[in-house]
Amino acid sequence: MNDPSRDPRNIDWKAAERSPEFRELIAARRRFVVPATIFFLSWYFGFILLAGYAKDFMASSVYEGLTVGYCLALTQFVMVAVLGLMYLKRAQNVYDPLAAKAAQVALDAGHDRGPRP
Amino acid sequence: MSLLAASVNVEALVIFAFVLGLTLGITYWASKKMTGADSFFAAGRSITAFQNGLAISGDYLSAASFLGIAGLIFIFGFDGFLYSVGFLVAFLTVMFLLAERMRNAGKYTIADVLSFRLKERPARTAAAAGTLTVAAFYLIAQMVGAGVLIQALVGFDFSVAVLLTGVFMLCYVIFGGMLATTWVQIIKACLLMVGIVIMSIFVLAKVGFSPVELFNRAERNTTAESTFSLGPGTFLSSPIDTVSLGVALVLGTAGLPHILIRFFTVPDGKAARGSVVVAMFIIGGFYILTTFIGFGARAFLGQEGVEAAGTGGNLAAPNLAQFLGGGEGTFGGDLFLAVIAAVAFATILAVVAGLVLSASGAVAHDIWTSIIRKGRPQNDKEEVRVARIAAAAIGAIAITIAIIGGEGLNVSFMVGLAFAVAASANFPALLLALTWRRFNTTGAVTGVAFGVISSIFLVIISPKVWPGADAEGGLLSFYDLANPGIISIPLGFFGCWLGTMLGSDEESERSFDELYVRSETGLGAEGSVLEATQVAGRNPAAV
Repeated sequence: MNDPSRDPRNIDWKAAERSPEFRELIAARRRFVVPATIFFLSWYFGFILLAGYAKDFMASSVYEGLTVGYCLALTQFVMVAVLGLMYLKRAQNVYDPLAAKAAQVALDAGHDRGPRP
Repeated sequence: MSLLAASVNVEALVIFAFVLGLTLGITYWASKKMTGADSFFAAGRSITAFQNGLAISGDYLSAASFLGIAGLIFIFGFDGFLYSVGFLVAFLTVMFLLAERMRNAGKYTIADVLSFRLKERPARTAAAAGTLTVAAFYLIAQMVGAGVLIQALVGFDFSVAVLLTGVFMLCYVIFGGMLATTWVQIIKACLLMVGIVIMSIFVLAKVGFSPVELFNRAERNTTAESTFSLGPGTFLSSPIDTVSLGVALVLGTAGLPHILIRFFTVPDGKAARGSVVVAMFIIGGFYILTTFIGFGARAFLGQEGVEAAGTGGNLAAPNLAQFLGGGEGTFGGDLFLAVIAAVAFATILAVVAGLVLSASGAVAHDIWTSIIRKGRPQNDKEEVRVARIAAAAIGAIAITIAIIGGEGLNVSFMVGLAFAVAASANFPALLLALTWRRFNTTGAVTGVAFGVISSIFLVIISPKVWPGADAEGGLLSFYDLANPGIISIPLGFFGCWLGTMLGSDEESERSFDELYVRSETGLGAEGSVLEATQVAGRNPAAV
């Protein structure tokens, strides 16, 4: 059974982009990705700036040979792990269902309208 | 050259032969499964998220990461660790901004994504140029590194070592395509992790499993002429240069073609995202362990070990392995050295194979099929044949340049250049193509041109390159940055913006709306269930 209207090539992309379902997906993703990106870039460049401009502070000892710099470097590793897992969880629980819904709406809209010329 | 002892050669050769035999076996297996362009360029999109996470790690952790960073930490201390942090945090950029979108909108190359809704030929040409520039610099750097290392560790002549590396690399790519390359990268990642975990356990066992004791010992083991420090500033003395390097590292990974094409090998965007998280944990764990290797080398080999560790301290890790195994001349020492040398060799092979594959894809899929043949007729067999020829040619050129340039070629300069071009040319254009509605073809071409030209120009006039490493001051008194990122990346973005403003909104076959919806939802993605049913002419809703 061949149904050309279900073909992704016949989707009205403009309408799909404007559908509330797609806008909801974009908004949900942005709510996490934008602050998370700002946070990780700030934390990372804060660390780099300290390494460049506050060398004595970074070299000062927290406990014997363990320096402030090494500890702050380790916080970067923790940050990557935490943000990575947070994104993964959100993507599975929130974005994937929203994306599936937006895709379905786009396909259905193509179905209603029939193939474009 | 204590490392050229005859007894070392035998063990190293046996282990090298074992690793090479294993990878050739995989290549043979992969060549039997080869069915067409999808398997050659994208391993039939059959790689799981976990496997791809391992393969990304194998593709990413070059000899510069393993031997280079351990060596930098050995010689300079903390500053070496700054590289690790940048290399790792970069994966957040990849994950948040590109991984899933690349998988959803692309087919085989990054040019697929860049040219999706732009004018095909100019946009593809620009993307292919960016890919080839990055791959060329990175490839030559790795080949030279391979030659130097194998020469030191096994005793082969430099040229023989480069040739050997090149031949095996081409075997994997030409006969086994992406499937063989992927499994070589997976094996390498496993070998590398096992190797570094064992080494770290040996190091920590010597200090009662107390990292703090290790740091103390490392710091005590310095002399007046040491550059080693537990604080920053010994290697990267100029603060603005440190920041510039930091920018290039954190954005450069998101423009490395051999990393980005790995996302085309998994079934969908979900797997692409999962594979980044797997890679983050493997790569993060690896970089923490490199500090134990670097500080361990300082604690046990001390200042006397600096000369034996060669340029940039590259041999610090193998020398430390020899020490941990019982020292020079003992069976344990020679065996451990041979194992680490083989791991380093596997490391290089996996990276160069990934690079050649990405470059051959740019030549065959972008330049040949889409630009010269104008996309018609779509001929899978021809595309794979051209890719194989391109791989052979690229490999031959890289081998030749590496041998002619010889050990004198500055490896870190070329790796730095590769990252700078990736961050300044590929990353801005890709990001804006995916997210900025107004972005147009002129913007893409101008952006890539600005990024490539400014990075290369700034690296050439940097004091380390011209007049040279030993000279006082740079060519231009006001410019003394070794890392161009802080200037070239904004220039790349500026080029994209300027071109977009000057160019007109051309009519292209596909709209931004289509790219946007597809990249965010995965609708109609290459090789997905939807796409497969569409090809089969069935109703996807019925699946």
